[in-house]
Amino acid sequence: MDLIKKTLSILSVFIFSIALALPSNAKVEGDTIILGAAVSLTGKYSTNGEHTKNGYNMAVDRINDMGGVTVGGKSYKFDIIYYDDESDSSRAAQLAERLIKQDGVHYMLGPYSSGLTKAMAPVTEENKIPMVEANGASRSLFTKGYKYLFAVLSAANQYLEVAIDLAVEKNGGNPVNIAMAFEQDAFSQDVRIGVVEAAERTGSTITIDDKLPKELNDMAATLAKVKATKPDVLVVSGHSKGALTAIRQISEMQVDVPMLAMTHCDASKLAKQHGKNSEYALCAAQWHKTLSYSDEFFGDGAQYDKEFTEIYGYAPPYQAAESSAALLVYKAAFEKADSLDKDKIRDALAQTDMQTFYGNIKFSDTGQNIAKPMVLFQVRCEGDVCANRVVAPTKWASHELVHPIPSWSSR
Amino acid sequence: MNQKIILYLCLLAFGIAAPFLFPAFKLQISIMWILVVLSLTWDVQGGQMGYNTFGNIMFFGLGMYICSSFQIGLFFPLAEWTASGGEKTFVHTPTQFFQGFFIGLILAAIIPAIVAAIIGYGILGLRGHYFAICTLGLGIAAGEFAGGIELVGAGQGMTSPPWPKGIGDTELRSEFFYYICFLLMVFTFLFLRWAYSTRFGLVLNAIRDNEDKAEAMGINTMRYKITGWVVSAFFVGMAGGLMGNMIGYIEPVETAFAGRTFGVFMVLMAILGGKGTLWGPVIGAIAFHIFKEGFWTFFLGWQYVALGALIVVVVIFFPEGIMGWLREKYPERFGEIIDEEDRKAQVELK
Repeated sequence: MDLIKKTLSILSVFIFSIALALPSNAKVEGDTIILGAAVSLTGKYSTNGEHTKNGYNMAVDRINDMGGVTVGGKSYKFDIIYYDDESDSSRAAQLAERLIKQDGVHYMLGPYSSGLTKAMAPVTEENKIPMVEANGASRSLFTKGYKYLFAVLSAANQYLEVAIDLAVEKNGGNPVNIAMAFEQDAFSQDVRIGVVEAAERTGSTITIDDKLPKELNDMAATLAKVKATKPDVLVVSGHSKGALTAIRQISEMQVDVPMLAMTHCDASKLAKQHGKNSEYALCAAQWHKTLSYSDEFFGDGAQYDKEFTEIYGYAPPYQAAESSAALLVYKAAFEKADSLDKDKIRDALAQTDMQTFYGNIKFSDTGQNIAKPMVLFQVRCEGDVCANRVVAPTKWASHELVHPIPSWSSR
Repeated sequence: MNQKIILYLCLLAFGIAAPFLFPAFKLQISIMWILVVLSLTWDVQGGQMGYNTFGNIMFFGLGMYICSSFQIGLFFPLAEWTASGGEKTFVHTPTQFFQGFFIGLILAAIIPAIVAAIIGYGILGLRGHYFAICTLGLGIAAGEFAGGIELVGAGQGMTSPPWPKGIGDTELRSEFFYYICFLLMVFTFLFLRWAYSTRFGLVLNAIRDNEDKAEAMGINTMRYKITGWVVSAFFVGMAGGLMGNMIGYIEPVETAFAGRTFGVFMVLMAILGGKGTLWGPVIGAIAFHIFKEGFWTFFLGWQYVALGALIVVVVIFFPEGIMGWLREKYPERFGEIIDEEDRKAQVELK
């Protein structure tokens, strides 16, 4: 009988521990609408995961303070259940399932990064749960016919196309030589596709096309080639770590290149971390505080920047701004649908057409935001203080583009 | 003997009833069965044979890619699927889906097994740390390698075929994968239980205890070592194929060749439960999964610290794992006969 007893005790421990996390029907509790989010609090995306989380929280607090969401004449508050996806896509997919099945969440917010969004989207799609995501820009998210996925940001292939066009323009309309290095992940590879297309369109030549490993810590080999071949543009993309690594090694190796185009400069606080070494780097961004969009919750970009800095102690990168915008989109959709039914919410989301402090938001049939252009800024220093200045598109440009970048010997 | 049968029947009944008892936890429990398979098969090398391998994750990823690739490639052009993101252009009919799935799953077991035989022939001559480091390198290299193959999406990753439309909803999908996982786990367990009871099991233990002596006794140890690895690769590959289908998205380093997560977990689970025993890896995997998910819920952001603390506690207080500890505490229940007189005599001698 001992064995049976033992079995029963093991089973009861098992059942008990499962009961600890028993599902509750959590989509709406009393006057609270529960949203679910898995963000990267640990792992390689932890910095950006934190930005995402802060962006979400800032908007939730603001919306709740300003009266919450009115559905069917009743006022609701937003609340978010968070999990840590550890920057790991298999974990993210499990957590999506967990949020939906165990926690009963009916409205999802996106994780940070395209790879993780790609991992979660099949799950939300299969369960017919709407997901408004603010940090998955990979184009492949929008080619699969997903019906429940809505992205408030511009697609990844749009990030650096403009930079190539700019280089061609500065070269008197003649094709340029492009050197590029991209991390092996969903987002960066999509940025690469955009650059390749821009190169084909302008007849430019790609002289170096390197793939960099994940957890990017060293790209000296690529830079050595750049030094030898002297291309007109160097394009690098590898999330925050990639941006920091690139600037560190470019300054160490004194690599001279007329144009350096990157992504994730503000998320990595490049201007602050590397100061003058990062000067003249050209960066693609989804948002900048000087853009002239506004809404009733956050005012305009400058005001958002100020208030975010007061609460979280650092200036908001675009990752935080777009995350806040996702909540504004949800609020509008809830009120438009005037219902808590997830399918009605989905339909309301599809009809979104609004302006937020972050930019205009209108979704195409594939869930992509088609109403907002990318901006390019250049890191510029005055004395020892370096900051990001918008240089394109011209409508918002506060500074003229410096081209070509002065050589290291003259800096 | 009767008791044992009742025990097995109880567990079997639990496994079959679980998706109905805990409908929200189907994926969680399915992954738990996968973890049990991983830890059981790791124990063939790490526990029974004394060869600490970090390379079994390679078969996991290989199985995952092979299964999905065949599921897609049998019916549609694979390159176009990965380039277009697949699902929109190509839709599996239910028949295609299940044919592809089962063929893919079988190949996901056989091909890794063949790879294990070939690689094993080359590296199983290494011993101790050398073998461990070599397999660690293989696992990492496999991930980087897969990240460079455009046909399977390279760094972009690939999506496995979605559940076909028109035959039930997501609940049916979860139940289907649950039972396949459960079956795989049961089959792996029974197979290893049988294998350990044969000469094969004895030889593995002989290799662990003293390989030179085993060779001197005329055993062709290489043959047994390779066979052991092939067996592991077979089941791990199948588990990988299943996991790829359940998760729906295959990323080379994080889902497939996930050395940092599953690759480490399989070692931890076997050690936690008690390596070199049949039940140890099973209990270890179940305990590990429950603790892990609990920590992930209650210690948000600190889960790895909590898990690390648990590992430290296990290493200090249960160096032989849960099974080892139980065995020491209740040796009679493990069929060890204690001669009290003899034990006392030995204590006095000391």
